[in-house]
Amino acid sequence: MSTTTYHRLVEILAKLHDAPADRFTPEATFAGLDVDSLTMVEISIRIERDLGVTVHDSELRPTLTLGRTAALIDAQRAR
Amino acid sequence: MPSHAPGPPAAVLCGLAGWVPSRVVTNDELAERLDTDDAWIRTRTGIRRRHVVEPGQATSDLAVESGRRALRHAGVGSVDAVIVTTTTPDRPCPATAPTVAARLGLAGAAAFDVGAVCTGFVYGLATAVGLITSSVAERVLLIGADTYSTIVDPLDRANAIIFGDGAGAVVLRAGTAREPGAVGRFDLGSDGAHEDLITVAAGGSRQRSAGGEVRLRDRHFAMRGNEVYRHAVTRMAESARATLRRAGWTIDDVDHFVPHQANLRILHSVADDLGLPRERCVANVDCVGNTGAASIPLALADAAARQAIRPGDRLLLTAFGGGLTWGSCLLAWPELPVPAHPYDRGEEPTP
Repeated sequence: MSTTTYHRLVEILAKLHDAPADRFTPEATFAGLDVDSLTMVEISIRIERDLGVTVHDSELRPTLTLGRTAALIDAQRAR
Repeated sequence: MPSHAPGPPAAVLCGLAGWVPSRVVTNDELAERLDTDDAWIRTRTGIRRRHVVEPGQATSDLAVESGRRALRHAGVGSVDAVIVTTTTPDRPCPATAPTVAARLGLAGAAAFDVGAVCTGFVYGLATAVGLITSSVAERVLLIGADTYSTIVDPLDRANAIIFGDGAGAVVLRAGTAREPGAVGRFDLGSDGAHEDLITVAAGGSRQRSAGGEVRLRDRHFAMRGNEVYRHAVTRMAESARATLRRAGWTIDDVDHFVPHQANLRILHSVADDLGLPRERCVANVDCVGNTGAASIPLALADAAARQAIRPGDRLLLTAFGGGLTWGSCLLAWPELPVPAHPYDRGEEPTP
């Protein structure tokens, strides 16, 4: 996982979700952060808009950690 | 051409009004029958309350009330055409506009409905502009009116929390393109490949010709929320950009962005995508929910009544709806008397 991608992901999430910043860790899952399905769609839209990488919301499963999500974005970018 | 030349023919906004039925449904009231609560609804939709019709009240009743107020606001007694845009007509046949026209004392005027679901008002506006600039009509009354409470299953949590009933109306007159109030550039589009994303499956020729039993759920409004969200955000931003491009405007030229009031999160996402500060986004979804084709004129009437929109302000209207359909247009706000408040905002006391 690139730390740049991870930090960009946390920036996106912080704009959309009002959980305290210290809960955004590489080990935190979307489900653990109580991110609902519409927010998942919004995250997917903003990953595409801000990072130029298409990750469909169906790939953003609730059990994914933020670290794994950043790795998924990097893998998608490398394709 | 000298700069004081009047410009080509155009349709000019000269009156507007909104109207909602008096019955208010709060989030707490919905929580009595649905597995939800006030905080959940506010966080996910930005909606605090919505208005719904009483038993027996129909879309035309709302349309007539808003139309009467808009005509009074414009100070006109007659128009040449009445357009009603709605997804919830009084009956499948005939159109709702003729009865609305007759009840407003406008019998004899051209009257017809425009159907583009939640994009209806922008499509209706383009239609009204066409009637006026082609000299078919000098004045047009355009009404967006919907009673989604009549098609949404009251036990459907996803949709029952979002939709409300209401109507908004504008009066347009023949004028010229450089006048304040002239309706400017448009962008309209559709993609019918996605007709199933927002639908009432039963009641039309497809189901009737097939015969057989109609499932109750097919009589109700259905929406595939996550897919609709993605399309709404993307299409609204694209349509807004296309319209600005056609007019040679940038986003900095927009004083107020007036989107279809679908859900506060969609509005903020589109505003962020356009690089528009959220405070320039006109929003009243908190007070009335998503009122379908009524949402843009209701939001305009509310903002004008609060004097949040001033003469000379430049507006970008953008909508998205079932079909799929989408559309945008530009408008410079004219000198108009301050209209009446379309509803009590139900402000909560500050702590």
